[in-house]
Amino acid sequence: MERRELLRWLAATAGLAALEGLAPDDLLALGREVHAHGASRSTLSPAVTRAVTAAAERILPASDTPGATDAGVPGFIDRMLADWFNSDERAGFLAGIPELDRRSRARSGRDFADSPETDQIAVLTALDDELTALRRAGRAVEANRHWFGMLKYLTVWGYFTSEPAARILLGTFPLPGRFDGCAPYQAPA
Amino acid sequence: MLIQNTNPDYDAIVVGSGMTGGWAAKELTELGLRTLVLEAGRPISPEKDAAEHVQPWEMRFRGMGDRRHVESRQRMQRNSVSFDELSHRYWTDDVDNPYTTPADKPFHWFRARQEGGKSLIWGRQVYRWSDLDFEANQRDSIAVDWPIRYRDLAPWYDRVERFIGVSGRAEGLAHLPDGPFLPPMDFSCVEEHVRERIAARFGGERLMTIGRVAVLTEALNGRAPCHYCGPCHRGCITRSYFSSVNATLPAARATGRLTLRPFSIVRSLVLDPRSNRVSGVQVIDAQTRAERTYTARVVFLCASAIESARILLNSRSAKFPDGLANASGQVGRNIMDHIKWGGASGEMEGWSDKRTVGARPNGIYVPRFRNVGSKHPDFIRGYGFQGGANRAGWQGSARAPGIGLDFKRRLSTLGPWSMTFGGFGEMLPREENRATVHPTRVDAWGIPVLHIDCSWGPNELALYRDMNVTAAELLEAAGARNIRPDARGPSTPGNTNHEMGTARMGRDPRTSVLNQWNQAWDIPNLFLTDGACMTSSANQNPSLTYMALTARACHHAVAELKRGAL
Repeated sequence: MERRELLRWLAATAGLAALEGLAPDDLLALGREVHAHGASRSTLSPAVTRAVTAAAERILPASDTPGATDAGVPGFIDRMLADWFNSDERAGFLAGIPELDRRSRARSGRDFADSPETDQIAVLTALDDELTALRRAGRAVEANRHWFGMLKYLTVWGYFTSEPAARILLGTFPLPGRFDGCAPYQAPA
Repeated sequence: MLIQNTNPDYDAIVVGSGMTGGWAAKELTELGLRTLVLEAGRPISPEKDAAEHVQPWEMRFRGMGDRRHVESRQRMQRNSVSFDELSHRYWTDDVDNPYTTPADKPFHWFRARQEGGKSLIWGRQVYRWSDLDFEANQRDSIAVDWPIRYRDLAPWYDRVERFIGVSGRAEGLAHLPDGPFLPPMDFSCVEEHVRERIAARFGGERLMTIGRVAVLTEALNGRAPCHYCGPCHRGCITRSYFSSVNATLPAARATGRLTLRPFSIVRSLVLDPRSNRVSGVQVIDAQTRAERTYTARVVFLCASAIESARILLNSRSAKFPDGLANASGQVGRNIMDHIKWGGASGEMEGWSDKRTVGARPNGIYVPRFRNVGSKHPDFIRGYGFQGGANRAGWQGSARAPGIGLDFKRRLSTLGPWSMTFGGFGEMLPREENRATVHPTRVDAWGIPVLHIDCSWGPNELALYRDMNVTAAELLEAAGARNIRPDARGPSTPGNTNHEMGTARMGRDPRTSVLNQWNQAWDIPNLFLTDGACMTSSANQNPSLTYMALTARACHHAVAELKRGAL
């Protein structure tokens, strides 16, 4: 529901009486200034950023819908490493990322970000299979703490909480105005 | 020190501005009393504080929460089910507000120290009690009898429901009385199917209805109906769900007789031993640490169950060496909460071309069916189920195998429907479940903290095990596949946030703290109407009953004041 629709709906339901004194255009913006936040420190070196960006894009690629880069995933990963993870977790992640380049060079002689797509997919699939094997062995905690487990999870989380993904891919309705318990649904192609 | 009460500062003082404090403020001011509400925390206004429309990409940590703050300052409060990145501000700082428990008996004590209290963050489910509940202690010869019955409270349930606005569906059940409901919210198509199958399998013995919820589905008193944005606990600019900030405090302010002082922590109540009256309320300013005493003709304690008991226990005098109003020794005792984390979920095949639109702030409800007609061999009392049907989103597959376009497509696709039932079970009152004053520890303002010793008893555990069994039966009747009982084990006591019982009502001052009017037995101008007053716990979400008791006690208090009895 867009801003104009919300205001029309609120006016129609006589709910605006509860909001006297508020400029209507500010309704949707309420609370957002309170929760706005400043820029974070950056943790990732240019080399790590290149590898992380290429890996995230391969995990959730752009197609006719946005990909990880469009969704700002690398910046999200950088901020979370700076402000959310602790120093041990950050160190583990930064120690693991160079593995992407090591494995790529073993395959094609090139760094991960410079490798052809098929090689990138092969490197990431092998890493993903290692996570799956850990989970099947009942070692899910290790899988989650693994640097690639972190990278993939942050890619997914950063992508699906982004504005491009929400608006285009998921069809999220931030302010639906109603509850429909039996609405039509078509899965994406 | 003798405090002369011939010219009190106010007619009434209310401690707390939350679920019951807000109702006391409204009723007392509307009945003509100049009323001071003492709120321990900061003021709240929807226009400034509401955060329900903040989108995930606008959150600093995208919903993963401010981990460093939480792990250092809110390690206990974070266990609350509606504690999240934006709502965490509504729970207290654990470092400033500590408490202790025995090592083997964890207890989650959630506190919300700001204007509105826990009425800002509650689950909004509202269900009446019946005499099945009020008569239970007497029937089972447990603890003490309630001094009231349903007929005493029914008109006050009406009054409260009419004012706060309750959406629900009348079902004609004697043990879950209906009220003056606003239109009910809708089921999803899967829930509709589940309801029908349960009715067909169990006849009238078990039924599934839509939740009764303090959220408007029609405009009421200048508050707008819900627009289904989802996270009520983060705020509500349209005032659609009930909180004291959204409804009762504005009504009190409209009388011109309300003074609300934030940052006013109540340390203790002062007794005038000659008159057996509370003569004053000792307050510490939360920000400046300045101390002063306010006086009034009548005092309502509405600080939330365990906190109100703490205030009484910290109000010792020669006449009440064990705490104010504690001649019975019951203050702090008989802690009850609702046992949770029993139930089951299962997959519902079909409806792959259907979804829900809008975030409904409500679920389904299965009223208690145990020990209503026939007696269960393993336990007394009962439980209700809440829950609902939904389709898994990307979070359910965030750790799934795969990369690339197919992985993206899978995560962008809604998963199969699943149906869940989660129980809320009654807890029996036991004297040994109690809060006492810690001998040495104090909070950030130098006020002695509590030691809380509380654990589930055998009846609760038997009742909890039955939840897994009957939830699976309901799901089976609905045709669910892959039915999985809730494997978490019983909830930690306190986690449900329905803690109550610590200054119970009764018929006898030797075994209870309050009489039938929520009035302290020995101290006529002291009333207590939050969860502490509860003599038994039933299984229904309790806030509606707290509010009804508050409204009733206020009207009695004012009548007594007017005839000179206080």
